[in-house]
Amino acid sequence: MKILLIGAGQVGATIAEALYEEHDLTVVDVDSVALSELSFRLDISTVEGNGASRRVLQSAGIARADLVIAGTSRDEINIIASMFGRHLSEARTIVRVANIEYLEAWQERQVDVDFMVSSEVETAYAISSLIGVPAARQTDIFADGLVQIVEFDVPADVSTRGIIGTPFRSAHIPDDSKVAGIIREDRMTVPRGDDTIELGDRIVVIGSPDAAKEWSRIFAADGAAAQVVDDVVLYGAGRAGLAIAQTLLEQGARVRVVEGSYERASFVAESLPDVRVFHARGIDAEFMERERIGRARAAIFAMNNDAKNLYAATLARLHGVDFTIAVADNTGAVRVLEAGGVDVAINPRSVTAEEIVRFAHDPRIRQLAMLEGDRYEVLDITVRGDSEFVGKAFSDLPMSESLIGAIVRDGSAIFPHGDDMLLPGDRAIIFTESERVATVERAL
Amino acid sequence: MRQLRLRSPRVGPPRLGIDVLGSLNLVGTLVKYLSVAFLLPLFLAIGVGDPFWPFLVSAIVTLAAGLLMQGLTRGADRVGIREGFLVVALIWLFLPAFGALPYFLDGDGSLSRPLDAYFESVSGFTATGATIITDFDDLSKSFALWRQFTQWIGGMGILVLAIAVLPRLRVGGRYLLHSELAGPTELERVTISIRDVARNLWVLYVALTALAILVLSIIGWTGLDPAMDVYQAVAHAFTSIALGGFSTQAGSLSVFSGATQWAVIAFVALAGINFLRLYQAVLQRRPGIVGRDQEIRLYVILLVIGSVLLFAELVGSGIESGEEAVRHAVFQATSIMTTAGFASADYTRWGSLAALTLLALMFIGASAGSTGGSIKVVRHLLMGKLLRRELEQVVHREAVIPIRLSGSTVDERMLRSVAGFIVIYVVILALGSIGLVIESRRGGIDVQAFEAIGAAAAALGNVGPAFGFAGPLGSYAPFSDVSKGILIALMWLGRLEILPVVVLLTRTYWRA
Repeated sequence: MKILLIGAGQVGATIAEALYEEHDLTVVDVDSVALSELSFRLDISTVEGNGASRRVLQSAGIARADLVIAGTSRDEINIIASMFGRHLSEARTIVRVANIEYLEAWQERQVDVDFMVSSEVETAYAISSLIGVPAARQTDIFADGLVQIVEFDVPADVSTRGIIGTPFRSAHIPDDSKVAGIIREDRMTVPRGDDTIELGDRIVVIGSPDAAKEWSRIFAADGAAAQVVDDVVLYGAGRAGLAIAQTLLEQGARVRVVEGSYERASFVAESLPDVRVFHARGIDAEFMERERIGRARAAIFAMNNDAKNLYAATLARLHGVDFTIAVADNTGAVRVLEAGGVDVAINPRSVTAEEIVRFAHDPRIRQLAMLEGDRYEVLDITVRGDSEFVGKAFSDLPMSESLIGAIVRDGSAIFPHGDDMLLPGDRAIIFTESERVATVERAL
Repeated sequence: MRQLRLRSPRVGPPRLGIDVLGSLNLVGTLVKYLSVAFLLPLFLAIGVGDPFWPFLVSAIVTLAAGLLMQGLTRGADRVGIREGFLVVALIWLFLPAFGALPYFLDGDGSLSRPLDAYFESVSGFTATGATIITDFDDLSKSFALWRQFTQWIGGMGILVLAIAVLPRLRVGGRYLLHSELAGPTELERVTISIRDVARNLWVLYVALTALAILVLSIIGWTGLDPAMDVYQAVAHAFTSIALGGFSTQAGSLSVFSGATQWAVIAFVALAGINFLRLYQAVLQRRPGIVGRDQEIRLYVILLVIGSVLLFAELVGSGIESGEEAVRHAVFQATSIMTTAGFASADYTRWGSLAALTLLALMFIGASAGSTGGSIKVVRHLLMGKLLRRELEQVVHREAVIPIRLSGSTVDERMLRSVAGFIVIYVVILALGSIGLVIESRRGGIDVQAFEAIGAAAAALGNVGPAFGFAGPLGSYAPFSDVSKGILIALMWLGRLEILPVVVLLTRTYWRA
């Protein structure tokens, strides 16, 4: 496949690393140093120039490309490049954006692009899922926040009636959710009507974010941990910070934002009326004491400087914050931050690059996650019109070690029951054994 | 061979940064058009048999003066943001001067002295409503209508009309409209052209006036008020929508029936709302905008509080009861707060709670962008928000708290100017009242401290009636000439919202 990649920054480099071996890759960037560094490491061709220029794109061979990836840090350049891609070639287009407005416009089909990904939004989802579901071991958010997959350890002392030990067909499972798998003694099964959840099991739940929280309440130990985190302090209100604050607000959390630049702080205070914004620095211990930052249930560090993030996170922990999350600025910083005591570190650029690489592999599969090492996968597949399963009720679908956990239709998620039907164009969120992925793809 | 000429830098006084001639040119244009306004009383005078020559002479003199001013100067198209201050300041001095011509040309009556005529005219054009006239029976119909009409011309502002009509004001128009519209409005965020804004404002102004004339006429025709006829309807519609407060009657609105009083006060309350909001609600059919507007909400709340306090006084001291108590309380609270200044009764006899309430209401004013004067509701609203933020920042020192008005953030510079305005307003009021007290003591006129503050507040706030002899059924005639001069200055400052005048007094304004 001939791939034209615009942008040789951190995201571009990560994408290039993942794709250059199997594909014919051309990278466009204005920065000749970044290009030459990349071309020394990887076997790619490079074109120096503005990615939003038609002339540059033509000389980079856009007409023969099969896939155009616009991955610079500038939204408008990426969108313009994809527009040229549409008109000058038959290629599919992937666009990276930061602005949520563009993402929304794309979801409403007002931007003609095959795939759009926003690192800020992906990071915000990842963080809000960490904060929103405290009893979870691992969580992933799919379909633009509509569907969540959570792995829980069923505690040995939980006393919830109606779920533990009750066969599934009569168990009181929270609405809009399904148990996709039960892991017992290192073996995972897709549960049937007669199966039961037992104490000490590990279960995989697929459902709406609200249902995920409901499950979390069921399994959380009594007292404080049962509460959804509702008081969050966010250090750094850059683009990622703003997206995180917005996502947390939508979850109903109380958010306090600390930002070092006065202009940026004012901007955030103006755009998010429900957020208390402070103009202060992360290293200001006296401020932290005075504003009782230590009382917050979680603190997120999204300053564009890993050293500052680590320092501020350590200071926050000293003041009594239990749960700290850092947004790493550099790929290598994730390990450093976590070694330094930060509970979770996330690198938005690698999140974005992974998203784009996944789409580049198979455009119909928008997203996938691995569970239990790599034995199980979660697929997000758009159903073809000629699939043999279209128009069949779910109760008539063949039973196998795969499960359709949710379908996304017209922008909302459906958690299907026996009489729901699969329609062409539905996005199916599928939980399946890794070895069955190819079979599932063919069937749909 | 060309000769090289060395030019030495000119030595002399510092260059003037203001295009005075251009400003005068524009003022001349507007003065010229004022002559047209005399046609209304002129035709009425001919119709009813009053002497019409004062209006004819005034029209000719005004036209000639305007043409002369325009002919001797040039460059109205160079009027920009800085000249705007000078233009509005001059206009509000010149127009009343020419508008006063009929009063003193007439010769007899209480306005024959030039200063008295000018006072009455300034009070008219600034839509204040303070009067010198003691004997209203002497006032002919055409003169009374001219008084009313000057308030209507001044209410929405002749500059707004000029911006709407004159093609060459398109460049500096935005600045002029800004200094002309009352109070801090969000004119910066209005996306249509400034000329369209001005046009819409005038269309709305004329439409509201026409509606008021119609409603008042219907009250007359249906016999709800025998004293109301078409003439009175027109005369009082002019001063209601302009929030002026002049009446053709010595007893103001007290000689009319309850129905008329309710109708007038309803229009006064409506005219006290920001015309930009009325425009959006009525002409753009977005009525929801009125409910969301924080200024309108506070405006209504303050009107209700004022009415309740007056009602308590009226009922508590047994002056009025039943519907009359409600009517007079609502009427007087609305009339004084919006700075209209009509009277449905002589409130000077109501007692100290009423007096203090009314004095307090004089400092509130109508909404920004209305025809009213005084500090304006929105400034109080922003000041309150500013104080609340100060309190919050005592606890949370680093907190960044933008101040919002009806959902959108208010610029910090605007907040500073609001705080500055309120301070300077109080300072000027204090200076004015002290001046009135000193001058009255010198002239042997009995003016108490409260009455002096009331008169200064009524003049600076463009309210009109004050307390004591300057009460709603009284007259400002007993004040000495110097006191009248002070009051004229206060009315002028109040109509211009002080700052443009103060700016003119600074050295930086005139420097290049």
